[in-house]
Amino acid sequence: MDIVLQSDPVQSELFDSLRLELRRGCLVLAVLAQLREEHYGYTLRKALADHGLAIEESTLYPLLRRLETQGLLTSEWREEEKRNKRFYRLSPLGERILDQLLAEWNGINDSLHRILRSHASSVESQPATVGHQE
Amino acid sequence: MDILDRYLQAIGEYLPAASKDDTLAELRANLLALIEDREEQLGRRLNEDELIEIIRNHGRPIVVASRYRPQQSLIGPELFPFYLLALRRSLPLVILFYVCAQAVSLLFQDHGRVDIGAAIGAAVVHLPGTLFVFWGVMTAVFMGIEWACRHYGTSISQQWNPRDLPRVEKNQGKAPSLVGGIADLIVSAVMLLWLLAIPTRPFLILGPGVEYLKNQQIGFTPQWHTFYWQIIGLLTAQLVLKAVMVGIRRFGTWRKVLDLVVHALGLGILAVMVRAQIYFVPAQGFKPLPHEALAALNQAIYLGFRVVLLIATLKLIWDVVVFVRDTWVGLRATSRVVV
Repeated sequence: MDIVLQSDPVQSELFDSLRLELRRGCLVLAVLAQLREEHYGYTLRKALADHGLAIEESTLYPLLRRLETQGLLTSEWREEEKRNKRFYRLSPLGERILDQLLAEWNGINDSLHRILRSHASSVESQPATVGHQE
Repeated sequence: MDILDRYLQAIGEYLPAASKDDTLAELRANLLALIEDREEQLGRRLNEDELIEIIRNHGRPIVVASRYRPQQSLIGPELFPFYLLALRRSLPLVILFYVCAQAVSLLFQDHGRVDIGAAIGAAVVHLPGTLFVFWGVMTAVFMGIEWACRHYGTSISQQWNPRDLPRVEKNQGKAPSLVGGIADLIVSAVMLLWLLAIPTRPFLILGPGVEYLKNQQIGFTPQWHTFYWQIIGLLTAQLVLKAVMVGIRRFGTWRKVLDLVVHALGLGILAVMVRAQIYFVPAQGFKPLPHEALAALNQAIYLGFRVVLLIATLKLIWDVVVFVRDTWVGLRATSRVVV
């Protein structure tokens, strides 16, 4: 797949754009889920990266501000290792919203799996001659 | 950490004053944590190039700051299609008003002292400026609507009724070309201005040939003065209708009716020419041409206009018949669906 993408810049650009779109909603979910534990910006980014979900600093830090403005996070300035840091945590509203979002996410995931399974089984059930009709 | 201070200062220039210090303090803490983490991995302090690389990867100051700002668009994606539609619909009307205003201005100026060619040139040169102002005003209006929608939590895209959708038209085919319509409008407007300029600047119609005509034994009949204003009136009416047609973006009944009226006005212009009958008379100061020769010339032109008028009339009659037939069939089809 990588060979194909590298050889076709338009396709590669399209894939990047669609991947970004796909990730955007997932990132909010991941951040909210990760902030069930308290983190400040940098350690949150590291924790997400350790779980395989790397986020740019310039995306994550403004996102934290936005989620806090929406009331989903609470924050607190506190000194740690002789430096003031802003720690974020999921608010009670954030916890409720996260539960709803996770239910939605699981529903989408299940639907997608069903679609993919049904597609795979229909391909398998097709007679071998179909592929040679052209 | 001079470079870090410079970086944060640059970001701060683009941040809202209310949250600037807080945001910069947080960014500083996060960047310092990243730097310390990297130093811990390497077991030494970072050199300047490595620091610059970290900061460069963090992003250009104006881009980083822009992500902390709440609103990124003056006209949001919900309102933008309406903005584009309004611009497209009103552009032909603006051009029409501009042309009419310029034409009226030309008509009421003292032609003895005003260079009409220069006035037309100036009008064409000033048109982009007028369009730019129009675009600016429209944008400002839509910015206001966007602000109001956000401020009062309303949405204009929800306020519609499927019952208001137009009937399905027969022979919809391809939508009328906007570019073609505007081009036709501009050509018509230029032609009108050209005709308006001719009385005081005859060289516009004949070029260097005007001098040649002066030495000929024939001249235009004085009745041209009457025909001229009738033709100007019909062309102006055509121009107005063409501008309205540009605003109608589908082949509906109204567009077809306007199309027929525009053709009928064209027929009117031909009719005026036919009614004239005599186009050239002997020029003053010259020995008159033989009466038969001049009469034959006028008769030939007259017959030419009559033939063209006849063909155009037949074409218009055919178009009207087709229109009435299509409308009748459409109405019957609709009534059957309703029943």
